[in-house]
Parts: sequence; structure tokens; C-alpha cells
Amino acid sequence: MTVSRPSNDTAHLYDGKTVRSAAPSRKKIAGQIGSGTDIPKDAIPDVEIPSFIESLLGGPLVPKTKFLPPAKMVQNLQLGVYGILVALALLTYMISPAEGTIWYMITGSLGVATILQLILIAGATGTGFWGTFQRDGRFTLASNLMFILAILRFASSKVTLSNDLLGLQDKPFLLSALVVIYAVLLIMYFELTNGVLRYSMLDTSIRTNEVYVMNPQKIVGKYHRSLLINPIIATLLATVVLSANTILPFFVGILSKDTALRMEESVELISVYGVALGTFFVFCVVGGLFALNLPTHLQSFREKRADGN
Amino acid sequence: MMWSRKSAMLGSLAIAMYLLGLTLRNSQLVTIAVVIFVFLTWAALFGGHADVAATGRRADEWSGEEGAALNSVSAMRKLSSARIFEDGELNITLRMQNHSSLAKILEVRDRVPEVMRIKDGANYILMELGPRRETFIEYTVECPLRGFYSVGPVAVRIQDPFGLFHKEKELHVYNDFLVFPKMEDLKETFVKSRVPKIFTGAVNIRQPGPGSEFYSLREYFEGDSFRAINWSAYARSGKLMVNERERDAVSDIIIIVDSRSVAETGPVSRNALVYSTRAAASLAKYFLGRRDSVGVIVYGDEVVSVDRDTGKKQLYVILTKLAGAVARGNIPLQVVVNRILPHINKGSPIIFLSNLEDDPTIVNALRDFRARNFDVTVLTPSSLEFEFDARRIDRTGYEVMKTERDVLISELRGLGVNIMDWEPDMLLSTALAGARGF
Repeated sequence: MTVSRPSNDTAHLYDGKTVRSAAPSRKKIAGQIGSGTDIPKDAIPDVEIPSFIESLLGGPLVPKTKFLPPAKMVQNLQLGVYGILVALALLTYMISPAEGTIWYMITGSLGVATILQLILIAGATGTGFWGTFQRDGRFTLASNLMFILAILRFASSKVTLSNDLLGLQDKPFLLSALVVIYAVLLIMYFELTNGVLRYSMLDTSIRTNEVYVMNPQKIVGKYHRSLLINPIIATLLATVVLSANTILPFFVGILSKDTALRMEESVELISVYGVALGTFFVFCVVGGLFALNLPTHLQSFREKRADGN
Repeated sequence: MMWSRKSAMLGSLAIAMYLLGLTLRNSQLVTIAVVIFVFLTWAALFGGHADVAATGRRADEWSGEEGAALNSVSAMRKLSSARIFEDGELNITLRMQNHSSLAKILEVRDRVPEVMRIKDGANYILMELGPRRETFIEYTVECPLRGFYSVGPVAVRIQDPFGLFHKEKELHVYNDFLVFPKMEDLKETFVKSRVPKIFTGAVNIRQPGPGSEFYSLREYFEGDSFRAINWSAYARSGKLMVNERERDAVSDIIIIVDSRSVAETGPVSRNALVYSTRAAASLAKYFLGRRDSVGVIVYGDEVVSVDRDTGKKQLYVILTKLAGAVARGNIPLQVVVNRILPHINKGSPIIFLSNLEDDPTIVNALRDFRARNFDVTVLTPSSLEFEFDARRIDRTGYEVMKTERDVLISELRGLGVNIMDWEPDMLLSTALAGARGF
């Protein structure tokens, strides 16, 4: 409520005023002293709804409540992020040569493009380190975006390396494996930076008695197991999906060896379109499984089997 | 299956990379997209909850084989008491049971009313519930405000370790409880009836008669008991004087509580209605303790009355009505007075609790009471003070409204009403003493 005429002398307010025998209504008085009819701010309870970005990060973009010093679990996760960051930076440098980058297209100079690409990778790594150390979602988000930006290249459909120290350029399978490992590391980096924030929040909530965790070792243990198992599974499955140019000819070879040979030597199948085709087929199958409500049936089967035991 | 925003973001990113990879002929992008898809698929299929469904139906609509993971979880709750007083503590025990043969990692949140404060323990628990096991979760809430409350439902969530997919279910287990307004111990209210009733009791009615408290001195008449002679007065005046005692009787006490919407002006925990209900509860307890007959009228959008009665049971009836008083409506006091006047004994003490705002009939209504020789006491918690303390009105507005309020109070005092402007930090006993001129 604001008053339009701030004054210590209130005498003028009584000029020509009829004293009533009942208390006036608030609205009338509000009208007389030029007040607004807004709802007082403190009458509305504060409701904290996380923004879209906050929910993506698993925690607040700008931490409103200060995290308590990291627990051992969080420190381990931070160490994991640092390790992955180093590996990711090296792999990003290796698999994203300056040719084909946006910088190369803009400047036309390989040297300048290389420098800019290196600055981008270094920037992604630096902000990643800082964001993880400070547990600040803004920096980790920036780091994630920079890593994605670093691999956006107008490249040929074949994988090329900027630095072939291990001599992988002539070994297509190992080259594919390297890219898969890079992709898995990138996902794990997303997940671990997210985990640092999530577990920092959880740890703070536990220590401030907002949340009670029964048997935390088991819960944390399950997360650790998932951190180990999921990347391995993802690597294996992705390798299968990406090996469409060898798997498809194998099945076709049962019917016709000539066609299988032609497929193996087909440029389309070993190109990015071949990969995309294989991926499309595999995910059609996965989508079908979901459409058939397989997860629910799987769960029911597991429950029934456990009940039977 | 419920996608979290994180999984939605990863899914969108994968699709974008996949399409961008095809457009830019960049196999790295396609590979990353494939890995993200695989990661999401694996989490959805085997990520610990594994009871996700593609149908998009709500969890509580599921039956039979569907949603097996959450259908096998049940909850029960026990409260330490169904009735407590404001600022009291309530111990809540939640019993979670897993009827399945598989262990589950559950997030459990037992919903408590917003005004409650968790004092001990937690209502939000993350736990692993073993196969065919149950666990007890105990926590204590502090109840700062009167009212009817309900604890529940229990929200249960199962999600994969990465928080990509989750499934939620509300277990509709509710427990109701009542928070009575807190009471102040009163030693004396200075409210006495002028009208005797048939049964003698503990209340002085300001008339000489058989009783225990001194009333006045008078000259000795034949037939007076020698034990009543005041020898000191005789020594002073040289005349035989006898002590007169005040007559005891059971009184009818009527308490009127203003529960109009304007009574809730001010902060939630400090407003006229909160003060009025606490005062009414304290007064009811005091008068019932004196074996008086107490009736309560609460008016807002309707007139709710508790008929006069005595005893402990009456106290609980009154407390229940006061706990449920909600600030609503704007019935004028005159309507209330017109309705109750024929039903109350002439001369009964009437205690009116109101902030005296927004009702032009107050003066006439109280004049009607006074004209019929009712002993009227008005305690008026000042909404102005509450709002000023909460910095919702500025000094000028406060001064204007305060002056008008003072004028109204003076006018009522002129009618013979015992009235006291009850400031927020004043004890009820002090306010009552002030109203009665002590």
C-alpha cells in the first residue's frame, strides 16, 4: 500500500471530515488516501518452481541455497568428472579436426580455425572444471554447449582425425569404437556433472534434515553400479547399431553372397547414411517394443518370478 | 512412463544431432545420437523401476498386472493424537509396506499441511524397501495455527538412478486432526453477573447474599449472626457493623466471536480472528471451570452458535467450533444481536471479540444490549496494529484509521460498554482488566 501524499502533518486529512460512528471499510480509506488495491506481497506464499534449465541440470542454475561442503560421495563424483573431462577434451580434439568447422568456413584459414577450435575445447574444459569445482550449474551448462559446438562440423561422412597418434585412421572398426567411446564419455560427462549437483542438493537436504535417507550406502551403491554398467551397455549396443554395414550383409549373405558382397562394398552403407539406416531399423524395433508395453510386462514377469521363488 | 525434463532434453538433443548429422554428413553426430538413444532405452527398460508403460495412463488408474512395482507398495499412518492445541506437537508414524518379492528404491513424501513445521524427523524419505518388508517412518510436526487439518496423501516415486524416467503414485491415505486454539490461564476476568440464578455456584453476582467473598459493611440488625459482626469496624465507628458477603450463583456467559472476512486482516498468525478465538477459548475454559454456563456465537457468513451449557464436554464443543471458525462473509452484528436477544437471560455478561471494522451496525447493536441491561465487555484486537507491524500500511494511513477507531471506542465506552483496545503484545488478562477499568 502506498500513499500518494507523504506528510507528517495529518491535519489536512480531517478538514471537512465527518466522524463516523463505525470504523470505515478498508476500501474506503484506501480510496481516500490514494492507496492501491494490490494484494500485499507477503500475503502470497513463495512457491519455488524450478525453471526448465534448472530441471535439466538437476539443480538450480543460480544456487539459492548454498550447498554445504561436499560429502565424500560428491567429491568422488567431482574427481570422476575431472577424469572424464581430460579424456573428453583429448578425444574431442582428436575427432574434430579444424577442417569442416564453422570457424574454417568463416575464416577460410586452417591455422585460425585450429586455434579457435582449440580455444573452444579449452574453454569447454575450463568451464567444466570450474563449474564442477564450484558446483555451479551455469558453468557446466556452458561447458556442455561448448563441447557440442566443438563437434558440429560440415564434414565428410567418414570419420577423420586431427591427430592420429595411434594410427587408427586405417582401422575403421577401431575408428568407430573411438567415436562411440567419445560419445559415451560425452553422455557420462552430462550425467556426472548433473550427478554432482543432484547429490550436492541431496546431501545438503540430508544434513539440514529436510530429507531422511534410509540406508544411503545401498542407494549410492546402485548409482555407482549404474555409472559403471550403463556406459558399458551403451558402448556395446551402440557398436552393434553402428556396425550395420557388417551385420546387414551377414544376414543378407545367407540368401545371396553376391548381394552381401555388394552391400559390404557399398559406399552408402559405410557412410553416414548407412549408419542412419541401421539406427533407424534398430529403433523401429525398440519403438515397437515400447508400443507393446514391454517394460510393464517385463516388470510383471520379474515380480511373478520373484513371487514364485 | 513419465519422462523427466532431463530425459526429454537428452531425447531432443539426440533427435537434433541425428538430423543434423544427416544434414551435415557428420557421422560423429549420428554416433552421439545413437549412444544417447541407447542410454535412454536402457534406462527406460532396466533402470530399476522397469514398470514404465507407454500408455500414458495415470499410476492410480492402473490395476492388475500393470504398474506392478507401485501397486505392491502400501502405506498406513498413525497420529499420536486427533486433537491438539496450537503450538502443540503431533507425532506421525507412517508405515510403508512392500508386498512384492523385489526390493525397491522409493522416494516417499508424506504431505503435511503447509502451515505445519517439521520439528523432528522428516516427511521426505529416500529408502530402499526390501522384499516383503515394512518400515516405520516417524516424524513430529508442530502445529502453530488452529483449524481442521488432514495429513496425506503419501506420494511415492520410483525412478532410475540417473533420474531419467520416473513413476509416481499417490497413496490416498488420509488422517484428520483438529488443532484447538491455545488458551491462556486466567486468574480473574472481572466479569460478574448481576442476575441470580436458581443454583448457587462459584460466581459472584454483585448482590449481597450467602457467599464467600466480602461485599460491603452495614449496620447490625436484629437477627444477624454474631459471627458476621466486623469487630474492627465496631471499634472504629462505635456502632455494631456486620460484613455482607457477595452472593454466589451460576451465570450465563455469552461469548460472541467476529469471524467475518475482515477479521483475518493482517498476517496469518497475527490477526484479529486468531486473537479472538484464543481469547474465546481461554474465557470459556475459565468460566466453565467456575461452573458457569457458557454459550458461544461465531458469526461470519452465517451465525453458528453453541448453546449454553456447563462442564468439560461443553469446553470441547466450544473449542471444536472455534477451531473451525473461518474468516468468511460480512454479517452485521445487528443481525446477530436481533437473533440471539430473545434467547439469552437478561443481564447476562456478554463478551464480544471483534476488530470492530467494516460494520456500521456495531454501535446500534451494542446499544441494544446495553438498553436491556446486559453487561457488555468488548475486547477488540486491532487489525491496524497487525497491519502496521507487518508494514502493510504506512504511518499516515495508520494515523487516520487509528483516530477513527479511537473515536468509535470512545463512543462505545460512552454507552457503558466495557471496552479495551487489545494491542498485539498485551496478555488477555491485562486486556480484560483494562476493559473492566482495573
